[in-house]
Amino acid sequence: MYDLIMLYKRYVDVETLISKEGRLKPLSIVWDNGVKYPIDRILEVRKAASQVGGCGILFRCRIQGQEKNLFYELNRWFIESSKP
Amino acid sequence: MKERVILHCDINHCYAQIEEMKVPSLRGVAMAVGGQEENRHGIILAKNDIAKKYNIITGESLREAYKKCPHLLVIHPHYEEYVYYTEKIKDIYREYSDHVESFGLDEAWIDCTDSALLFGSGEKIADEIQTRVLNEFGITISVGVSFNKIFAKLGSDMVKPAGLVVITKENYRSKIGSLPVEDLFYVGSATKSKLHELNIHTIGELADCDIQILKKQLGKMGETIYWFANGKDVSEVALSGTKVKAKSVSHGITASKDIKNLQEAKLIFSVLCEAVASSLREMGMRGGCLSIGYRTCDLKWYTRQCRLKESTDLSAEMIAEAMQLLQKNYDFHHPLRSLSVSMSKLESNLSFRQMSLFDEEKKAKTRKLEKTMDEIRSHYGFYKIQRCSMLLDKQLTSFDPKGEHVIYPGCMI
Repeated sequence: MYDLIMLYKRYVDVETLISKEGRLKPLSIVWDNGVKYPIDRILEVRKAASQVGGCGILFRCRIQGQEKNLFYELNRWFIESSKP
Repeated sequence: MKERVILHCDINHCYAQIEEMKVPSLRGVAMAVGGQEENRHGIILAKNDIAKKYNIITGESLREAYKKCPHLLVIHPHYEEYVYYTEKIKDIYREYSDHVESFGLDEAWIDCTDSALLFGSGEKIADEIQTRVLNEFGITISVGVSFNKIFAKLGSDMVKPAGLVVITKENYRSKIGSLPVEDLFYVGSATKSKLHELNIHTIGELADCDIQILKKQLGKMGETIYWFANGKDVSEVALSGTKVKAKSVSHGITASKDIKNLQEAKLIFSVLCEAVASSLREMGMRGGCLSIGYRTCDLKWYTRQCRLKESTDLSAEMIAEAMQLLQKNYDFHHPLRSLSVSMSKLESNLSFRQMSLFDEEKKAKTRKLEKTMDEIRSHYGFYKIQRCSMLLDKQLTSFDPKGEHVIYPGCMI
């Protein structure tokens, strides 16, 4: 069923913690209206191509009970969003 | 000697696929990556599978392509991204071996002879690399696995897209014997027609013919391709990070408007020769043979060369020679479209040379001047210092051949 939902590529602001080893850890996604969505858990990190176009480091995250794919592409973040 | 395991990986229609990866909806339309028509770089650099069905060929002009497929979507190239992504993909290759030799942006040989003990057979490694590139970058590659570089490359060309062909010592005759001879590396159109005259049409026929006849007809090259066809290519895959020593240095440009006379040609030659000279000095080399290339407006390409009296790394001398060559060989019955300058017979500028009796002082002065120009340019940018004549026609001369230095396939038409 998941594949049937139309997904859009949407660049987002992400509050990120860069560890002293240089590792990235996204903490929360900041929506255009200023609302922050904290990332509850990072389920998986790997390199991947996105079905909405582009590729980079995929952070599979749980946000408010939902699973979201958050990508770090070159130097910015995008999510596979159900809203355009 | 144990049998070598060599992979050749080829990113299928590279530029187009990277564009498709970024914007997946492009996969559904006929799309091609093409140069900018306004700058007269209007040719097809790569096309996707749908565009291929319309018989669109890499290298043809956009105008011809639109005739075949009026709704073709043409995207301007994003070279920096192509360099970035292809390099990232090669990083995957480098995880499997320290011998990875690039051949252009989109192709590379990998020598897995020793890593086969760690990662499994060549076929297994090829399959793993293919899957990883697809998962991590969403890009398909064709891989050829064989015991030498030539057959590996043939293998990767055989099945597209996402092919995996294994050519072994046992099956190479049946797999590649019937392929047309021009598929073999080093066999271009001239060699092909010579071979056809000898009634050699397939790689199998080339492998079976008499080496003496080939040698007689084609010289050294005949011998080379004979050994290639018989799977006796022993060239090694270069270690990652090493560079093949340059045999020539060249720069060329398709001008933004037609070049109608010698004066205009001189302006362009000045920019190109400066770039060649500066590259030579950077490498610590001098060139002994200068060749020029020019393309007329009816797209015919000519090259002419001459041996210099004394090898040089000075642009002033090159400009004079290039102009002489052009003047001698071309009368501008058609305007020119592209020009190029190349220096070969390179030697180190530390080697001994015969000094001339009269112009040494002048030469030293010119060298000092040109070196100073190099320094100013490297500090403050290319356009900060120029010959005064460059201002005569800014449209023709405002390009920086060295800055836009990477050779992308198909750019010089």
